[in-house]
Amino acid sequence: MRKANDYSRSRALFERACSLIPAGIYGHQGPVEGCYVPVEAFPFYASRAQGSYLWDLDGNRFIDYMCAYGPNILGYNDPDVDAAAAAQRAICDCTTLPHSIMVDLADLLVSTVSSADWAFFAKNGGDTTTGAVMTARAYTHRKKIVFFKGYYHGVAPWTQKIDYPGITPEDVSNNLYVEWNDFDQLEQVFLANKGQIAALISQPYLHGNFMDNVLPAPGFWQKVRKLCTEHDVVLILDDVRAGFRLDLAGSDHFYGFEADLICFCKALANGYNMSALCGKDFLKGAISSLSYTGSYWMSAVPFAAAIAAIEKMKRIDLPALLLEKGEKLRSGLISAGKKHGFDLRVTGEPALFYLRVADDPSLMLHQAWVAECVQRGIFFTGHHNHFLNAALSDADLAETIAAAEDAFAAVKKKA
Amino acid sequence: MDQKTLAYINLFAVLGSLEFLCKQEPAARQLIEGEKLSIGFSVKNGPRGTLWIEDGSCCMRPGLKGCQVLLPFSSCEKFNGMIEGSVKPVPVKGFHKISFLLKKFSRLTDLLTLYLRPEPEKLQDEAFFCSSTRLMLHLIVSAIAQVGNADAIGRCSAGYMQDGSVLFSVKEDISCGIRVAGHQLSACHEKPEDYRAYMEFSDLHLARRLFDGQVNAVACVGQGKIRIGGQISQVDNLNRILDRVALYLA
Repeated sequence: MRKANDYSRSRALFERACSLIPAGIYGHQGPVEGCYVPVEAFPFYASRAQGSYLWDLDGNRFIDYMCAYGPNILGYNDPDVDAAAAAQRAICDCTTLPHSIMVDLADLLVSTVSSADWAFFAKNGGDTTTGAVMTARAYTHRKKIVFFKGYYHGVAPWTQKIDYPGITPEDVSNNLYVEWNDFDQLEQVFLANKGQIAALISQPYLHGNFMDNVLPAPGFWQKVRKLCTEHDVVLILDDVRAGFRLDLAGSDHFYGFEADLICFCKALANGYNMSALCGKDFLKGAISSLSYTGSYWMSAVPFAAAIAAIEKMKRIDLPALLLEKGEKLRSGLISAGKKHGFDLRVTGEPALFYLRVADDPSLMLHQAWVAECVQRGIFFTGHHNHFLNAALSDADLAETIAAAEDAFAAVKKKA
Repeated sequence: MDQKTLAYINLFAVLGSLEFLCKQEPAARQLIEGEKLSIGFSVKNGPRGTLWIEDGSCCMRPGLKGCQVLLPFSSCEKFNGMIEGSVKPVPVKGFHKISFLLKKFSRLTDLLTLYLRPEPEKLQDEAFFCSSTRLMLHLIVSAIAQVGNADAIGRCSAGYMQDGSVLFSVKEDISCGIRVAGHQLSACHEKPEDYRAYMEFSDLHLARRLFDGQVNAVACVGQGKIRIGGQISQVDNLNRILDRVALYLA
């Protein structure tokens, strides 16, 4: 019988952390938002990472399918990216004047991303979605923003819901919500709020939590694009999660339309802290007019890392690589479930797939299986889409599928 | 704070918890032993419910049909004032039962206050502590349903909830639940047969400390003292309503 992972050092540190840090580990990387069910099955702290692997504080090794919730796209500690960052660090990083490398990165993004005429830099994905909404409002002089239900666009007050702690009704009073893929409903909302909508913001497809991911219906994006143009509504694509994973030219390019503004973060610099908002020329004046900046937004080391990461993603044709790995993993996991009588659903694009054991609508069976996988060194989550990285080898995929099968057997035995 | 929502809480959660007080406490039961009576509470632009009392047990049900005593209130504020003790109700029906209202019923509600708003020293008695905390759990579950149905922001949280039940329990002790159907919530005072999500406290002491705002719920989940699972989005939305319950019951 396989011995369960020991997490005693993680647990001891968490106890100490609880007295020093709110909730011990707050946010999506903590046990609550991370949906660690049961908590005993999961490690809390990392000790090191390399390629596709993450080691926890107790020395357990995991094949990491969360990739720091997306930033690790080429593999942890990618030598090319790290070398570029180290070289820039030796020159300068956070300085009074921005380093010239900022212009080189903007040039690279504009030539890489199909809808980009310019690039604006920040730190987190939420900085870019907020910047995009402010830009749209500055340009249109309108207030309202349309969202697709199941969205996630960061944690700024305007992105949250009326019942969330710390949010006032005024924070979200200009938000309008429609169902994903429901063009008729969207059109109705546009007509009912004619002349008042500044922007429509959306991820390229529905990859919300706790739900099977849903791709755009055929022709949906093209109709949305036309509608936005007809109503002078700025179309914002939140490509923070999916960006570069599907198409280096942007996920709008992948689905055959052009966004007015496109937000990037996670995969942009392989873990170096930066984000970018790119946009069409007609919005350049509006974004220039914003009072919107940050202490570290023009740090040069992440710019160097991003250049190296983008060049490498082009060199290895990253989207094709992730598609191939994702399809192998998808079919292997589904087969592993079938062998033990489980209906595992794998939804969304293969590069950032979502998993759900569909035999139990309560998700308890799914959580039990995810916990068994984690105990076997495969870091999956029960609520969120996963992320592939380029360092993932065929041996890693085979190990994952074997562990998943073993986990299904364990769940079946306990049921 | 919305007075109408508070009136719903006061009627169906606070007075509604008399049912569980009588089940738990012989002293409460004895006060209404041999009695058969129904007291209706009619709140203008607010809730209407009847407390049915029969031989040592009681329960609050919506509506006024068949009530023998009727207590009308001209507003939610007046009804909430009665619960606070600043308004004296005058029955318009069932005058012959005034003696019961003034004596036994008044003593019953005093006993309820003793358990729901206990003096700190009373809580040193373990048996009292456990009884008071279980009663508080019943009250909270009922209040969650009222806030989810009546409070404007609570309704938004309920609007995100899917059909099904959420188990709300203390390990190896009391189990309650919240049922969701068409975004309408109802309280369940026993373990729901088929629940889709759960939130379980390790013991009554932790539950009390959490309700009293003395511990951090998020840290407790990480420490394994509070277990959550199943459709966690249901628990998440329930907790947002629970936050608002604390506002009303403070």
